[in-house]
Amino acid sequence: MRYKVLLSFFLIAIQLQFVSCSGNERERGEKYLTYWPAANQQEIDLAKKIVEKWNVIHPEFPVRMEPIPSGQSSEEVLLAAIAGKTTPDICSNIWPGVMEQYVEAGAVVNLDTMPGFDSLLTARIPETVVKGYSSSDGKYYQLPWKSNPVLFIYNRRYFDVLGIDSLPKSYSEFYEIAQRIKEMPIDDGLPLQWIHYRNILPIWWQRLFDFYPFYIAASGGKTLLKDGKVDFDNDTAVKVFEFFAEGYEKGYVSKSLLQMEDLFIKEKVLADIVGPWRVSHLAKFAPDLKYTYGPLPRPGGSEGPGLSYADPKSIVIFNNTPYPKMAWEFVKFLVSEENDRMLLDMTAQLPIRSGLLEKATFKEYFEANPGLKVFAEQVPYAIGVDRTIYLQEIFDIISQEFDAACVHRVKTPKEGISDAAKRVRLLLERDR
Amino acid sequence: MNRKLSLMGYLMSAPYIIYFIIFSAFPIFFSFFLIFHRWNIVGPMKWVGLANFNMMFSDPLFWTSIYNTIIFLLIHIPLQVVVALVLAEVLNQKIKARAFFRAAFFMPVVVSGVVVTILWKQLYSTDTGLLNNLLMAIGFGKVEWLTSTAMAMPSIALMATWKNVGLYMILFLAGLQSVPAYMYEAADIDGATTLQKFRYITIPAINPVIIMVLILSTIGGFSLFIEPYVMTGGGPLNSTLSTVLYIYRQGFSFYKMGYAATLGFMLAAIIFVVVLIQRKLIEQDD
Repeated sequence: MRYKVLLSFFLIAIQLQFVSCSGNERERGEKYLTYWPAANQQEIDLAKKIVEKWNVIHPEFPVRMEPIPSGQSSEEVLLAAIAGKTTPDICSNIWPGVMEQYVEAGAVVNLDTMPGFDSLLTARIPETVVKGYSSSDGKYYQLPWKSNPVLFIYNRRYFDVLGIDSLPKSYSEFYEIAQRIKEMPIDDGLPLQWIHYRNILPIWWQRLFDFYPFYIAASGGKTLLKDGKVDFDNDTAVKVFEFFAEGYEKGYVSKSLLQMEDLFIKEKVLADIVGPWRVSHLAKFAPDLKYTYGPLPRPGGSEGPGLSYADPKSIVIFNNTPYPKMAWEFVKFLVSEENDRMLLDMTAQLPIRSGLLEKATFKEYFEANPGLKVFAEQVPYAIGVDRTIYLQEIFDIISQEFDAACVHRVKTPKEGISDAAKRVRLLLERDR
Repeated sequence: MNRKLSLMGYLMSAPYIIYFIIFSAFPIFFSFFLIFHRWNIVGPMKWVGLANFNMMFSDPLFWTSIYNTIIFLLIHIPLQVVVALVLAEVLNQKIKARAFFRAAFFMPVVVSGVVVTILWKQLYSTDTGLLNNLLMAIGFGKVEWLTSTAMAMPSIALMATWKNVGLYMILFLAGLQSVPAYMYEAADIDGATTLQKFRYITIPAINPVIIMVLILSTIGGFSLFIEPYVMTGGGPLNSTLSTVLYIYRQGFSFYKMGYAATLGFMLAAIIFVVVLIQRKLIEQDD
């Protein structure tokens, strides 16, 4: 099996050789850039349009677009491309959580050196969060492109049935509703069974959509590490674990491992944790469903805007490009106001830029799509991830402890958080 | 003439030799080289001596994964051998629609493992799965097929058996068809019962096939990956974390290629020892 895995890695590398067999053409003197967007259809269509526009303006330096080749994940494919030196010039589907690895490998261009980078960066994001996009060496290798803040979506059909006047702000309010759902008679003719559903698979990235956003919301914006040390060994994290543990213990949340079933569309759950991508999905697959969006509940239900996880994606220029300056020109074109509007129109994903709700270019869109406006309002309060090469492993540890303390309750939430913190400390110390 | 022939031989075998060098020999030697290094695929390699072995011996999750894999083998191999043998025996008789049943039982073998696993995951779903709906319709309670530590690995073993049994059934069928009919006729004249014929004629006659099936099932069982990867992610509480899944995570989720290679070599050594013991036991018994 190990050889099969190695084999698939080699096959990805060979596939990448074919995808980016641009070396020979470049040796013949042809000048062009290569660009990889994400491989979903909406983003491929968007990339096609942007590239078409660029190629009309810059026929002397066209862009050739290929979606990220298929693989287990885009991170894995990009890693294989870096190893095989077959990266494109530009890629726009970079999760900041892997940036440290790319920087350590010397695979990405330092964007600080590019003309106008500072002003472009500060025009897109508030100065308070600019630092969050720098690497541990203090330099900038990524340009933040889009953000998908995670919120709760609620089925409005059940508001009258359950007597919901306002959305739950605290954990106790949330589970009061859950208790009402549990007490509903089975033969009431309604499919509703649980308050929400989360995939309990103990896979690291699943916790980016339950524990992590809830921890950010409850802690007022903390991430997992501070100055390279564990920063989640605290009562807030315990409360978040307790929240999920209570849901599974009292049967408020289904423990099923689902593969193809959307419980929200089937109206079996009242709420779901979602990003803005869900807006267009629901419009397509459940056009008659009535729903509303709300912030993640917090332990005490404090007032003020709720924070959440941003699920951001950035743009990078890879180091093996022979044309970094021209690649930078394309990156600037990619994030122009007009193309950011197209990002909204075609993918319903939110460009990271200041004044998104005020600028005339976007205002009209949000008036026509109030569902997405809720997410756009959340962008300034959406937090990213820590800068560490161990991020996946840290989330893997938390995922295992979540499984033990919340889903199966073989240890208390306090023990779960404490054990996770111990294991993360060990991980960080061992490799130091 | 001889030189010409041998040149032709090399030419004819060249495609496989090239394939073998690229996809087997090179990865094996490269993996061996990696076990003494720390390497994250994209960065420079760092010599770490035996540090990966130290880490392996103090890594409880690796040993949990070995334990889980052995549990899987203990359920899967006997179940698979018995079911395959029974099916082969039945389909060796002159029954109606024999060809159809042979094809039907073999069908899951040729279906993609991921597709089969996704379908079974849905069947096993605690709250919405077909199996539990059927159980509840006849008055039983829900079974946590994939979400309880007691049931998850047996459920995976059951699914893996369903997926692979067709292949072993065909092997047994080939073995059964090579048993001379006169042996059964002689046993009939001596008044042997069906069970006696099975025990004293069929089993010894197909012993080489049994050895082959056991070895193939053992090696295949140690390679358990797709099922826990898709169905349970190694949970609940790491009870379905197979060794190959753990190696995959170390290598391709956390980019610890040196450590993953070390675990891979350890797994190869364990498989070698287990198969050796298996052969010794069966051959002695024979």
